[in-house]
Amino acid sequence: MSLKLGQSLGSSAIIKTTALFSVVFFFVSIAASGALAQKRFSKTYPASKTVRLQLTNRSGTVTVEGWNRDQVQISAYLEAPAANIVPQSLSGTILINVVKDNQGRNEVGNVNFTVRVPYTSSVDIETRVGNLNVSNVRGGLVRANISSEGDITLTDIAASNVSAENVIGDIFFDGTIQSGGNYRFVSMRGNINVRIPFDAGFKLVATAPSTRNISLGAFNGGTMNVVKDGRRVIGRNGDGGATLTVTNQRGSIALIRR
Amino acid sequence: MNCEQCQDKLSLFLDSELDETGCAAIREHLSVCSTCAGICEDLAMLVDVSSLECDDNAAPPNPTALWWRINNIIEGEVRAEIRREEKQKETEIASGWVPRRWQFSFSQVTAAIVGIALVSSLLTIIVIKQYSTSDDPLALKSEPTMIDRVLGKLGLVDTPQELRKRKVADREAAIDYWNKRVQERRGQWDAHLRDAFDRNLNEINQAVAEYTSILEENPQDELSGEMLDTALNEKMELLREFSEL
Repeated sequence: MSLKLGQSLGSSAIIKTTALFSVVFFFVSIAASGALAQKRFSKTYPASKTVRLQLTNRSGTVTVEGWNRDQVQISAYLEAPAANIVPQSLSGTILINVVKDNQGRNEVGNVNFTVRVPYTSSVDIETRVGNLNVSNVRGGLVRANISSEGDITLTDIAASNVSAENVIGDIFFDGTIQSGGNYRFVSMRGNINVRIPFDAGFKLVATAPSTRNISLGAFNGGTMNVVKDGRRVIGRNGDGGATLTVTNQRGSIALIRR
Repeated sequence: MNCEQCQDKLSLFLDSELDETGCAAIREHLSVCSTCAGICEDLAMLVDVSSLECDDNAAPPNPTALWWRINNIIEGEVRAEIRREEKQKETEIASGWVPRRWQFSFSQVTAAIVGIALVSSLLTIIVIKQYSTSDDPLALKSEPTMIDRVLGKLGLVDTPQELRKRKVADREAAIDYWNKRVQERRGQWDAHLRDAFDRNLNEINQAVAEYTSILEENPQDELSGEMLDTALNEKMELLREFSEL
């Protein structure tokens, strides 16, 4: 009786161990196949401090970071079927256009870029689908445009012209506002959060016609006026030197003190 | 015959207008009177000179001089004609045929020109000011001004509603064009891209429908007009950018 019990316990342990190994093998093989399916692209260009990066992606995530080197370093992970990437360096501009380089191809996998640029660069990036992240850039221009859906995150930005636009997705800006600058954030559905210093000088036009959800936080002073049945807020903060335009057709807007 | 009688008849004598007896008497006196003979010679000389001048006048005229004479005659006739017309006008005005109010002095004409210039400048400034308050033609003014209404009634300018309709129609034509391009291309997209496109287009279409509905109820809603324009722009951009894939 006890022998039977021991035999039964032994076979059960073998079954369990086999099942566990099968599961581990399954996940490892999936991970391995995924890793094998990805290709890597890398290229570095010498660049001036005021270089302009112009990147047009088809789908995937683009991350741009400012760094303290006079170089532009482009790294990309290409999902299968791998896209063609042909960067160009033309008179102070680094051009990457994945849409143009792959026109006429039936299927192109996501391309996930990480680009490092000098702090004082101008950055102009767009993608058809996917997220855009820009951080640590203090050049003249930061423009991030998503044709359809994806989140835009702009952190530690000190540019005089900033524009972020998508259809579905969140937009987050965390940076300074420069006198005489233009700051424009436009979305169809999502949350737009703008984190700026309290003493920033700007004229504000914030419009959220569908939700009427416009939160001014610490900026809700006497010079801000709610108009058009609560669908728009217009006003001035500080010296009103910059122009801040925020439009969210079917989502919310929030100004946050930095 | 004495000297006095002789000198009285000298002129007739030289013109051969005296009879034979008179001529004989003159000849007889001249032969004995040197004074009358001298006067006769002088007179004869004068007659010769004058006869020579008559010969010059009989010669063919100088063409230049002739032209000047003709020209003077013509100008004289023209001046006379102008004088006659002026006189006729004066007569008409005096008789009340032409109204006196159409007759203006130089200062009146100048004042009128300055006045017209001022009024037209003022109107231009007003019109420019009114139309420049809105950057967006789709954005409606809450209340059309009198100028808008008058010009609209005259058919000289589009009313804000007409302007919006026209602009929306233009946008929709462009959207149709890009939509056809997208339909040609979308068969080549992968499922992920197709889904993302459809989701976003649907989102924009909902916004367009929402603003269109609001504007049907309240055509004067400026903000909805502005948002409709933005949404249509977004739609066009989405279609255009995906048509490149």
